[in-house]
Order: sequence, then C-alpha cells, then structure tokens
Amino acid sequence: MIQLARALAISRKDVESYYGKPPLVTWGLLFPAVLILAVYIKDRAGYLDVAPGIIAMTLLFGNTSMAAIVITFEKRSGTFERLLLSPLGMGTIILGKALSAAAYGIATSIVLAVGLKACMGLPMARPDVFIAGLLIGSCVFSLLGLIASVMVKEVFEAMTLMNFFRFPLLFLSGVFVPFAQMPGWLKPVAWLSPLTHAGEMIRFGIFGETAFASPWVPVAASLIMFAAVCVLSGLSFQRYARR
Amino acid sequence: MRQNESETQVAVRVAGLSKAYGDLRALDGVSFEVPMRRVFAYLGPNGAGKTTTINILCGLLERDGGEVSILGRDVAADPVLVKSRIGVVTENSNLYPELHCRRNLEYTGELYGLSADRRRSRAESLLNDFGLMDKAGAPFGTLSRGMKRRLTIAAALMHEPEILFLDEPTTGLDVPSARSLRDLIRRIVGGGATVFLTTHNLFEAEELADEIVVLIGGRIVERGKVSDIKRRIGGARCLTVSFSQSVSGGDVLGVCPAIRNAELQDGALKFEASDLHDAIAQLVAFCNKENIRMNDIGIREPSLEDAFVSLLAGAGKSDGKDRP
Ligand SMILES: Nc1ncnc2c1ncn2[C@@H]1O[C@H](COP(=O)(O)OP(=O)(O)O)[C@@H](O)[C@H]1O
Ligand SMILES: [Mg+2]
Repeated sequence: MIQLARALAISRKDVESYYGKPPLVTWGLLFPAVLILAVYIKDRAGYLDVAPGIIAMTLLFGNTSMAAIVITFEKRSGTFERLLLSPLGMGTIILGKALSAAAYGIATSIVLAVGLKACMGLPMARPDVFIAGLLIGSCVFSLLGLIASVMVKEVFEAMTLMNFFRFPLLFLSGVFVPFAQMPGWLKPVAWLSPLTHAGEMIRFGIFGETAFASPWVPVAASLIMFAAVCVLSGLSFQRYARR
Repeated sequence: MRQNESETQVAVRVAGLSKAYGDLRALDGVSFEVPMRRVFAYLGPNGAGKTTTINILCGLLERDGGEVSILGRDVAADPVLVKSRIGVVTENSNLYPELHCRRNLEYTGELYGLSADRRRSRAESLLNDFGLMDKAGAPFGTLSRGMKRRLTIAAALMHEPEILFLDEPTTGLDVPSARSLRDLIRRIVGGGATVFLTTHNLFEAEELADEIVVLIGGRIVERGKVSDIKRRIGGARCLTVSFSQSVSGGDVLGVCPAIRNAELQDGALKFEASDLHDAIAQLVAFCNKENIRMNDIGIREPSLEDAFVSLLAGAGKSDGKDRP
C-alpha cells in the first residue's frame, strides 16, 4: 500500500513533467488523426479497415517511445538515480514509470476514438473490450519501452533498438495486412506479436467481431505477454540497478 | 542487548570492503567505522574510490566482498529500510530541473512516504533554513550552482535521515557558496545527524571533520582525528625566519643539525625543525657567532595538506597496508 502510493507519486510527477505537456498531447492525438483522415478523404468507408490498426500502432509507438525517452533522459540528467536512492522497491519504480506512460496512451486513444465517433461516425460495439485493449496494450508497450531504456545509454540508441522490432511488427500484426489475409507461414509470427493481440481487442471493441476463434483469444494472449514483460522488466531493472 | 547499545554508537561500519571494475581494483580491503552524530570525512584524491564507496553504502552499487552495516543493517539485504533512514547527495545536483524548488522538495517527501502536511511543513522550514524561500517558485534548473547544491541537500534532509551522505559537496562552488555550505553542514550535525562527507579538499576536512579516513588508490592509508594525523605524519614544524642580512641555507644547515630542508623564499629562510627547542637554540647561537640579528620569526603548525602530500608521496612506495 505504502509502495503503491509512492508509485502513484512517480506517475503524477511524470504526467506533470512530461505527459501533460501540450506538445506530447497533440503529438499523441494529431499523428493518428491525420493518418486516419488521409485514408478517410480517399475512401469514406475504407478508413474503418485501418482505424483500429492505426490506433494500436500509435499506442505501440507512442508508449514505447515515451517510456524509453523519459527513463533515458532521467538517467542522463542523474535524476533517475534519485529513485534508486529512495526507499522504493524495484517494482514500485517500474509501476510508477509504466503507469504514467500507459495513462498517456490510454487517454490520448480514448480522446481520439471519441473524436472519430463524433466526426466520422466510428462504431463502438464493445467499448469495454476497446478500453481493455488499450489498457493492456499500453501497459505491455510501456514496459517494453522501459526495458529498452535500461539497456542503452542514449535516446537514439533506445529508438534504434526498438525500431528494429517495431517496424516489422507493423506488417506482422494485422495493422496494414488483416490477420485473415496473411500468408499461413506468417501467422505464427503474428501470433507472437503483442501488437496483434492489442490491435485485435481494439478491432473487436469497434466492430464486435474478431478474426480469432473467440475474443478471449487475444485477451488471454495479451495477459500472458503482459506477465512476460513484467518479469522481463523486473529482471532488466534489477540488473541495471546493480551494474 | 549490549550489541544493540554499541550499534547505536556506530552509524556506519565497513569491514574488508572490495570492489573491482574489470581489472581495476577500485576498493581493496577498506575498513572503517563512523561514529554517530559526528562529521566523518572520507578524504582522497580524484579516483581514490570515494564515490564507489558511497555508492555501495547507499545501495547503488554491488560490492565484490566485505561487510557493510548502516545503522546495524546491511543495505544489500534490507535496501528499502536502510534507504528510508539515510539521505544521499550525489556529486551532481540532480533534482528535477523543470520542477520548481518547493515541488522538488515535496516530491522527494512523497517518495519517502511523508504525509501531505509533513511534506508541506518540512519543505517550508528547509527552504527557510537554507535561504531559498524567495526561490521556492523558481524551477530548479534556473538556480545558481550554489543554490542547486543547497536545494539538493535540503531534499536529502526532507525525511530527517539519521545519516547524511555528501559526495564532494563543495566541489565546483565559489568561495562564499562553499563557506555557507560548510556552515550549513555544521548546523545539520548540530541537529543530531551523522554526516559522511567525501572530499578532496583538505581544508574542508580540517574545518569540518571530527574523524578522517584518507583513501588513496582504493586503500586506506591513514585515519584518526585531524590533530593526530598531523602529528603523526607532518611531525616537523615549519619555521620562517628573516635576518638582518642575507644568509644562505647552506650556512645555517652546516651548524644547525635540528634544521632540515632549508630554502630561501622572499628573502626569508624557510625550514623544518625536527625539534623546536634545539632548532631555535642552534639558530640563536649561529646568529650570535655571525653577528646577525633575527628580525622576524614565524612558526607554522603542519597543515593537513602537508600530511596529505607526504601521504601521497608515500603511497607509491608503501605496501598500502591498513594501519589500525
Ligand atoms: N563505472 C565504472 N567503470 C569503470 N571504472 C570506474 C567506474 N566508476 C569508477 N571507476 C574507476 O574507479 C576508480 C575510483 O573511482 P571513484 O570511486 O569515482 O573515485 P573518487 O570518487 O574518489 O574520485 C577510478 O579509477 C575510476 O576511474
Ligand atoms: Mg567521486
């Protein structure tokens, strides 16, 4: 309980210092909005095919980048050391940092979805699943960003490291190529991508239908991946702290 | 029970501490004790291993070997508990540049679990004590170097730690800022805290510390009270004599066996006396015989700097064995 309060204090401070700043808020909103608008102008109905993927993609890029930038930046300025010197468990630090990044991703995505619904009539069959998808996706992506940030020294190194995985994921996770249309040999790879499952939950939330046998499949897969990145981030932070 | 009583008198106990970075042995069998409610100076030139030691004591770095006990606990075994009872100021003033001063203090208080009321009152009284009240609403990044240092120390005191670790607190500060910081450190100890201070500044150690450990190349080469160290190492006193007419160092040395290392400086003769009484008696005899008068005579206590220089010179030759 005590440690939870401290994690929330870390998150609140990060929102104050970084995530609440206008440039970040507009970036998180404008980037996907402009992409979707571009498709919408060309094809009034076709935008619906890509909207869930673009929301998921923004979540992936936004959350991994922000989480990694914040930590790398604080490591460089020496402020990250303050957390390591404070009476905080490693889990508290990870939770505090991941929560703020995740909150940023979830908040911008919800605002975006509400805007799309109001302006372009985006359907929303299952808002609960939509929000669950945002929630679990942003948590997994934030933790991935945190892991990358303790593995490198500079911001650009973190970006390069993550892009090595992020860009291929765009083509492997049903963002541009729907899962159902993927060649069979690619499907197992797509299965291992957290973006596939977060995207699928978002898609199900919007349309109420899924390419998987059941909407529980991406939920279960996401939860397993979430558990995996929790363990991984714990290990990598532990290793970093004892360097 | 007796064990506990003695523990309450010792803030930090380190035994046989060692740490290597690859082939470099940064710490090699370091042992010392820091008594409660004192200023303890950990003195050494750059690269001696001071920061490495602090980082291990504060749980930022794993040690390779040895025992460390902070207030009777091992930071590696009980990190959260130990960290809640110590305050650490690293070499760089590392508060959040974008947050204003009061928010920096209050946020630090949150990380240490202080209640909202307590955070507010502590921040208020520390801003006051540290002369930063008029900067309370200014972003930390806009402060001068000396103010940054003060606020960073204030932040480390938010939770009223029992031990305050200060890594080179005055390095990089101008003279007035460094002086006001030293006054502040005295007040902190007056308030009942133990201060563990690293410095390469002898004057600072001499000014502030009750006990000193001298670390060179990862080994402790000297320890004790300032006066003891000076007596042990810089045993000889330094004399400066100006005469009514010029004399050469060679003339004096020939007839005054108690005088060593004579040199002429600004027309005066500077030398070391192994025995003050003999040196002066021999000098008076020399003057009477040559019919010279002494115009002025100055005697200087050996400074810690003298002691330090002789230690540094010796460190290359000696085996670096820990002296008890
Ligand atoms: N992370 C590190 N990796 C490799 N060598 C290091 C590292 N940190 C310190 N050292 C080396 O260890 C020695 C002691 O360093 P340090 O404890 O910082 O000394 P001090 O604080 O007394 O100036 C130095 O020779 C330094 O170069
Ligand atoms: Mg240092």
